[in-house]
Amino acid sequence: MQSKELLKSLSEANGISGYEASVRDLVRAGFMQYAEEFVTDTMGNAIAIKRGQRDAAYPQRSIMLAGHMDEIGLLVTKLEKGFLRFTTVGGFDLRVLLGQEVIVHGRQELPGIIGSRAPHVLSAEDRERIVPLDHLFVDVGLTEDELAQQVQVGDVVTLRRQFTELSGDLVSGKAFDDRAAVACIAEALKQLSKMKHSWDVYAVATVQEETGLKGAMTSAFGLTPDIGIAIDVGHGDMPGVSEADTVKVGGGPALGFGPNIHPLMYARLVQTAKADEIAYQIDPIPGASGTDAWAMQVARAGIPTALISIPLRYMHTTVETLAIKDIERIGRLLARFISSLDETFAEELGLSIPGQIP
Amino acid sequence: MKKLIQQLTEEFGPSGYEAPVRDLIKSLIVRHVDEVRVDAMGNLIARKKAVPQNGIASRRIMLAAHMDEIGVMISYIDDKAFLRFTPIGGVFPSTLLGSRVVFTDGSVGVIGREKPDHPDELPSISKMFIDVGAKDREHLTRKVGDPATFTRPFVDIGERLVAKAFDDRIGCAILIQSILNNTVSPHEVYYVFTVQEEVGLRGAVTSAYGVEPDVAIAVDITLTGDTPEAQPMAVALGAGPAIKVKDRGMLAHPAVKDWLVDTAKRLGIPYQLEVLEMGTTDAMAIQTSRAGVAAGVISIATRYAHTPSEMIDFADVQGAVSLIDGLLGAGLPF
Repeated sequence: MQSKELLKSLSEANGISGYEASVRDLVRAGFMQYAEEFVTDTMGNAIAIKRGQRDAAYPQRSIMLAGHMDEIGLLVTKLEKGFLRFTTVGGFDLRVLLGQEVIVHGRQELPGIIGSRAPHVLSAEDRERIVPLDHLFVDVGLTEDELAQQVQVGDVVTLRRQFTELSGDLVSGKAFDDRAAVACIAEALKQLSKMKHSWDVYAVATVQEETGLKGAMTSAFGLTPDIGIAIDVGHGDMPGVSEADTVKVGGGPALGFGPNIHPLMYARLVQTAKADEIAYQIDPIPGASGTDAWAMQVARAGIPTALISIPLRYMHTTVETLAIKDIERIGRLLARFISSLDETFAEELGLSIPGQIP
Repeated sequence: MKKLIQQLTEEFGPSGYEAPVRDLIKSLIVRHVDEVRVDAMGNLIARKKAVPQNGIASRRIMLAAHMDEIGVMISYIDDKAFLRFTPIGGVFPSTLLGSRVVFTDGSVGVIGREKPDHPDELPSISKMFIDVGAKDREHLTRKVGDPATFTRPFVDIGERLVAKAFDDRIGCAILIQSILNNTVSPHEVYYVFTVQEEVGLRGAVTSAYGVEPDVAIAVDITLTGDTPEAQPMAVALGAGPAIKVKDRGMLAHPAVKDWLVDTAKRLGIPYQLEVLEMGTTDAMAIQTSRAGVAAGVISIATRYAHTPSEMIDFADVQGAVSLIDGLLGAGLPF
């Protein structure tokens, strides 16, 4: 499958943090065209394994690729006179919730909208401010009694938005954060299937990143990879924002560096991009990256970790926008990087020999 | 069971200093479990062996309730023997005025306040002090670092109970009652009475790592939306044990949540679903232990949480005990 088609199907699937099951089925289909084994762990992480071909003289090594498949969304907190009160799961942009179409996952899927009071009746002060969460509600059109039959506290509400191809190479939709990374990993596996590689690849679509990096924390512990790369989205360029704070959409993978990223991993990614003439950008991250890389790095006794960001505009809205060619470039960069991994690099990183205490 | 609840809530045990609570619980359960141990952090871990049943897969289940309560610690003593203090856990300054605290040796102090700049000024902890009635420093036996908790008697007002430290001694009481009920379980059950929940779920982190459960349920309190002008929340006293969907720190594992709901339905136990917008429980830490644990929470609706006068409904407590007995007695659906 081409990256664009995969991204479309992933983006239009519904799976907020903790409820990723339907996305996991698509991930499985996407990854398993090019991998041999598939595991779903306790937390629900989707793990595809592509084994490397190694010389028996060398130890078995592995790399974990992590992109999260959960999306931000809403959860019903209360039924009130035929309307639904809700809270957010992950940090939804409250500025854009009013007027959204949603799907309420009750006894059956119900289309709904997010409403609030009309501007005509608001005070001048209220008109100026962001509509607070407790002034918003979901309306599915049912009466109070009908609603109580269909929906209960704790039911999931997802945002509804079709994938749109903009002009040029750009596409727009919901949940590109971080299903676009899943598309990058699928592309990497596809390219890697035409290359030789000696290290095993754990392709992981993680869960619950938006609620505390939980899937990465537990899957990294469970898989015990030698090294890891997280793929997530980075803030793209747009008017009114300094170039220093953004990366260019369509400008290629943004390679993170800073305390969350192992310097030798960063250097090797740069070297790989240069050698294969893949456009890339550098992305300084001075502290917590807020990505799966942050959890992977400190799993068990520590894992040399890198972070690749997909340039993306309008993060945490339903119109996240990115360039398809950036996904293809990241897939290619990952495949080249993995295919280059050898025991010399393991020694440079100071990786222990499996089964031996360092 | 009310006697048990009274004993537990009136015991002393701020975070890090849970020994009196631990000793009490140990004495109550030691003859009813197969093994009891205390780990390095001070968690009390009791194990009941599985009784194999044909056709039922045996799992390792961890039930967790925290022994610690919020409190204060002496941070500085002035020349006139007044004690400045710092909070242990989430203490609301506005509930401190007029409160009494008790130290490990049972001695009591009262909380006083500097003259406010304005009569309606909210008190801040830095402008309060503890007065233990010492004439001067010579007669003071307290020292910097002494922990204290609030003191307030347990009150049984019929269907509802009032006490300090229902958070989370009520969870401890529910686990103990479940042990005493001696339900035959095909599962290996670890009853874990954790330490230091109020200061960052720290006992749960280490005990879950040590126990390595397949499935875990924390039993703790939750807030309610059933008092005048409360924050909107669909949880009320007396509507049954609350089954958590989400709180500030975690999403309950959907399969565990469904298991709790289906068991409550099967046994005809009233229940309510809970979405809590602040706070979290030991289940958050247990869920991400090692390679991940399927975790959920049974909550007891509690008004006035983190004050010395927390209020709960006794029927909710009994419902929670029945629910746990029902969970342990049958096979898991996942």
